[in-house]
Amino acid sequence: MIRLERVGKTFPGREGGVEALREVSLRVAPGEFVAIVGASGCGKSTLLRLVAGLVPPSAGRVLLDSVPVEGPRAETAMVFQAPTLLPWADVLRNVTFPLRLMKRAGPATEDRARGLLATAGLSGFEHRLPRELSGGMQQRVAICRALLQEPRVLLMDEPFGALDALTREEMSLELLRIWQGRQMAVLFVTHSIPEAVLLADRVVVMSPRPGRVADIIEVGLPRPRGFEQEGSDTFQHCARRIRALIYGDRLSRAA
Amino acid sequence: MQERPAGPAGGGFRLPAALRGAAPGLLAVILLFLIWEAVCRLFGIREFLLPTPSAIFSASIAAWPLLLWHAWATFLTVLWGFFASVAISLPLAMLIASSPAVSAAIYPLLVITQSIPKVALAPILIIALGANELPRIIVTFLVAFFPLVVGTVAGLLATPPELIELGRACRAGRMQELLRIRLPFAIPFVFGGLKVAAALAVVGAVVAEFVGADAGLGYLIQTSMAFFRTPLAFAAVVALAIMGILMFQAVSLTERLLFPWSSGAEPPAPGI
Ligand SMILES: Nc1ncnc2c1ncn2[C@@H]1O[C@H](COP(=O)(O)OP(=O)(O)OP(=O)(O)O)[C@@H](O)[C@H]1O
Ligand SMILES: [Mg+2]
Repeated sequence: MIRLERVGKTFPGREGGVEALREVSLRVAPGEFVAIVGASGCGKSTLLRLVAGLVPPSAGRVLLDSVPVEGPRAETAMVFQAPTLLPWADVLRNVTFPLRLMKRAGPATEDRARGLLATAGLSGFEHRLPRELSGGMQQRVAICRALLQEPRVLLMDEPFGALDALTREEMSLELLRIWQGRQMAVLFVTHSIPEAVLLADRVVVMSPRPGRVADIIEVGLPRPRGFEQEGSDTFQHCARRIRALIYGDRLSRAA
Repeated sequence: MQERPAGPAGGGFRLPAALRGAAPGLLAVILLFLIWEAVCRLFGIREFLLPTPSAIFSASIAAWPLLLWHAWATFLTVLWGFFASVAISLPLAMLIASSPAVSAAIYPLLVITQSIPKVALAPILIIALGANELPRIIVTFLVAFFPLVVGTVAGLLATPPELIELGRACRAGRMQELLRIRLPFAIPFVFGGLKVAAALAVVGAVVAEFVGADAGLGYLIQTSMAFFRTPLAFAAVVALAIMGILMFQAVSLTERLLFPWSSGAEPPAPGI
């Protein structure tokens, strides 16, 4: 469904610009959950924005259903690193904003939005303004906004980064539950290795400067997933391999 | 505006609270008048030089139909000038914010209009356009519109890049981006500019009336000073101050009623 073929991205600037990504190749099947981990600044957000069609690649090709991505498309939705809510619109209008903007809002849109907000624990906050919500609540609104578009490709850029540890675990399981009920490919950027292993079918580990795919780890854990699996050998093995890929050269240099 | 503001969160205009908020200002004005009265009486300052507040008050009472009539004439000029500023500034600001090239072309012209003293411009306009309402409205507009343009442009350009990217991800065109994202974001900035413009419109109208008019508070000030009727001139000045305050409050009230989310998170008012 998503295919990246030797994708490179260089941002123009002084001294030849910044090379954010080099020779990134990746395939994501329909309905697959892929996590991306890597050091800060290794091009994870850039990778998502390429798939979203927000920036064009400088080299290689980004394909969606075998068609080159040339701009933002209706079947992809993105959860940004920051909540990016409209400060003047209440929660409900924020959640329905993309559909209204794309003239895809129907009579059932508002009810579905209320339902999603309820699953995110935001019942009763429909008519609050963003500035009246905590950072974590704002991010949950942003997640609801993306899910309401019923995307076939959901791009999530550290969606739980602003949440406290407890809400984070709760939201992870909630996301898995919603994902399992739909045919939706997810590209999920995170800084948390356990989170990546818990959620994903495969974990893409990126190396920094310029960003490349260091390796792709298959997570063989059965679904439905839960925190009790964290103690299992498979889980520990995957987490250890990812850690070795990220810190590997630094540790060997120290030795 | 397609994004209607959210329900009655906060906002809401309650009179007792408003009165309580105005009390310190009112006290300060009363105190100032008391000192003024005392100084005039103690030093025996003559009335045609500086009248006491009580003399101004009795002059206002004695000549109130005249005052009201002139105030009405000024008020119409102020309103027309203010609405002309709004009607021209908002589209102009959108044009300026649309591209750096347009902005580079238009901004110098705007700065030139601001550096020309309006008092010098008014007689030229009157000769060109005749002794009617139009030159006065134009002068009022010229005095009032600039902060509104600057404030609106600042708001349109201050829209966070993340919100612009959200719009692009939702496949919004440039027009949609402007109307559904940039313009709503700029609302608090627009109202900052409107408040300054409302106060300046009063200044502009009086400047125009000084130069060429047969009615209005500016005209009244000139004629009464010519006959040393200083208390009446001061009464006209007080009427102007009241008009400025009312204009400012009307804009604030509109903002609180139509955009309750805006007044809570106000940006620093743009400089004049
Ligand atoms: N619009 C841009 N213009 C210029 N350089 C950019 C731009 N966006 C990203 N970069 C550069 O590309 C590199 C990768 O940035 P990116 O935001 O993709 O990293 P990231 O992996 O998401 O980091 P983090 O984990 O901190 O969010 C960085 O060196 C950054 O400076
Ligand atoms: Mg990032």
